Amino acid sequence: MLSRREVLSTVEMLKSEHLDVRTVTLGISLFDCASHDPEHFKKNIRDKIRLVAQGLVRTCNEVGDRYGVPVVNKRIAVSPIAVAAGSFAPSEMVHIARTMDHAAEEVGIDFIGGFSALVEKGFARGDRALIEAIPEALATTERVCASVNVASTRAGINMDAVWLMGRTIKEAARLTEKSNGIACAKLCVFANIPQDVPFMAGAYLGVGEPDAVINVGVSGPGVVKKAIDRARAANPRLDLGQLSDIIKKTAFKVTRVGELIGRQVALGLNVPFGVVDLSLAPTPNVGDSVGEIFQSLGLKSIGVPGSTALLALLNDAVKKGGAFASSYVGGLSGAFIPVSEDRNIAEAVRKGHLSLAKLEAMTSVCSVGLDMVVMPGDTSAETIAAIIADEMAIGVINNKTTAARLIPVPGKIAGEKAFFGGLLGEATIIPIPGDGGSKEFISLGGSIPAPTRSLIN
Amino acid sequence: MKKIVVSVLGYDRPGIVASVSKVMFENRCNIEDVSQTILQTEFAGVFIASIPEELQEEDLLSCLEERLAPMDLSVLLKPMRAVGDWMAPERAPFVLTTRGPDRLGLVVGITEVMVRFGINITNLKAVFRGGEDPLRNIMIYEVDIPLETDHHGFREALQERARELGLEFNLQHRDIFEAIHRI
Repeated sequence: MLSRREVLSTVEMLKSEHLDVRTVTLGISLFDCASHDPEHFKKNIRDKIRLVAQGLVRTCNEVGDRYGVPVVNKRIAVSPIAVAAGSFAPSEMVHIARTMDHAAEEVGIDFIGGFSALVEKGFARGDRALIEAIPEALATTERVCASVNVASTRAGINMDAVWLMGRTIKEAARLTEKSNGIACAKLCVFANIPQDVPFMAGAYLGVGEPDAVINVGVSGPGVVKKAIDRARAANPRLDLGQLSDIIKKTAFKVTRVGELIGRQVALGLNVPFGVVDLSLAPTPNVGDSVGEIFQSLGLKSIGVPGSTALLALLNDAVKKGGAFASSYVGGLSGAFIPVSEDRNIAEAVRKGHLSLAKLEAMTSVCSVGLDMVVMPGDTSAETIAAIIADEMAIGVINNKTTAARLIPVPGKIAGEKAFFGGLLGEATIIPIPGDGGSKEFISLGGSIPAPTRSLIN
Repeated sequence: MKKIVVSVLGYDRPGIVASVSKVMFENRCNIEDVSQTILQTEFAGVFIASIPEELQEEDLLSCLEERLAPMDLSVLLKPMRAVGDWMAPERAPFVLTTRGPDRLGLVVGITEVMVRFGINITNLKAVFRGGEDPLRNIMIYEVDIPLETDHHGFREALQERARELGLEFNLQHRDIFEAIHRI
């Protein structure tokens, strides 16, 4: 017999706290699609995606209805195309991206990730072809997401790849200048990329993963904020230790929901269940913001002094609650601070409370890095590469994932607004101090060696 | 061994369960299941017990009435049947929650839809305190939905009835509540 409190608090979480499952991502291996003939390869991947994913949207909706918990996004992550299609030229890679886009549209999903390369220790032929294809591939498709892993704690930082990605981001922005460089919103540069991320734009299916697998991203930050607000209203004397405990318990609940829904979808599709990603992922909706949690915990705005400490507390409490709730935790599992996708964070940038330097500092205690950071269009490729290098260094030295999703908006300067729409949101362009001062450093190239932390055996 | 069902109803006070169980004990009846609840001021209890073959049900009822009448409690006693007229089909447990302003006909409005789809209520809590505040007017039904039930049709029928009654409703598999609240 359920208690009235159990039932009503669950209903309340659904009705007014945005309790949902943020994404159910179906991983599909494309290694068995390999062919020397690009037409044959494209047919194989289209057939396989349609075969494995045809029931994804319907099953997610049925399971969501059964449990009364909406599955907001249904997505697909495939094997890294630079490996699966390693023998093809850049122009053929662009056509493969378009085939992925069509297949995604046919099965009714909004994003497909895996137009990816892993180059932390050097480039294979397919890696170079894929990276060269990224700007046109992202500019001429809607649903395809790309990621490039340029660094790892075991390998160090491939600075040639970092420099190449600086130029690639500039070119992707140029090709989509009429839509504020939106191609860059579908491109992540990573250090220590996990093989099972369900969240876009970094989702791909690693080489050690099964033929098909369901990974789940849990609910967003609205539930956590409301739990904090309720607890502080009931007892204004709660200290940070007690508030951390409340976040932990809330994370437990949303993780249990995520795993239950993910396992039921996996059962419905007859594929194995992989992991729950514990990340708090905001949306541009009011009440679904990571930035608002900072205000609920007593800061004037995200970005003011105290923000890094607060984010460390939040990230830690979410992991502890989530790790107790599920034995299969993976992906990024940390709080996201995507500037344009979180209205409150975008507002903090507009008001000048949040700088690039503070964003970077905060990424040392959460998982995702500089995410959806909107920059002046004339920011140089060297400066973009140098910002990526800084972010990669945080990941490599701290043995954690970091990423950069940077958007230099063509024709716009700091203080102006860039609008992307939908979940990608909008943001004020952040000033980039010191542009032009990193040119010589970036031109040195080579590889920053792996730290002693890599010698763990 | 015979089995009986005893239900007791009346104004709540200390000693009701003690009195019933004492009569049972004195008559060598073995209580197998008990459940009680209190709604506002009223106690309601149901006891299932096995009784000795030689004990007449009328005699046990007389003993119970004699003990409970001074407490102004009503007693009903009936023999329990091993097999009923209705057998539960294969089913899945769901929870239906409604919220909305109080008015006449809410319970009958919702339960009529349930019976149309062969849905059995296994637990029900409802409070109606009047007024427009939806949180003061809530129904929580734990129900068993037969596996062959047309879920889509049931949900649509509920939707229509809830709209007529001015109610918001949620229909969710019970596991979601267990997952969120229980380790």
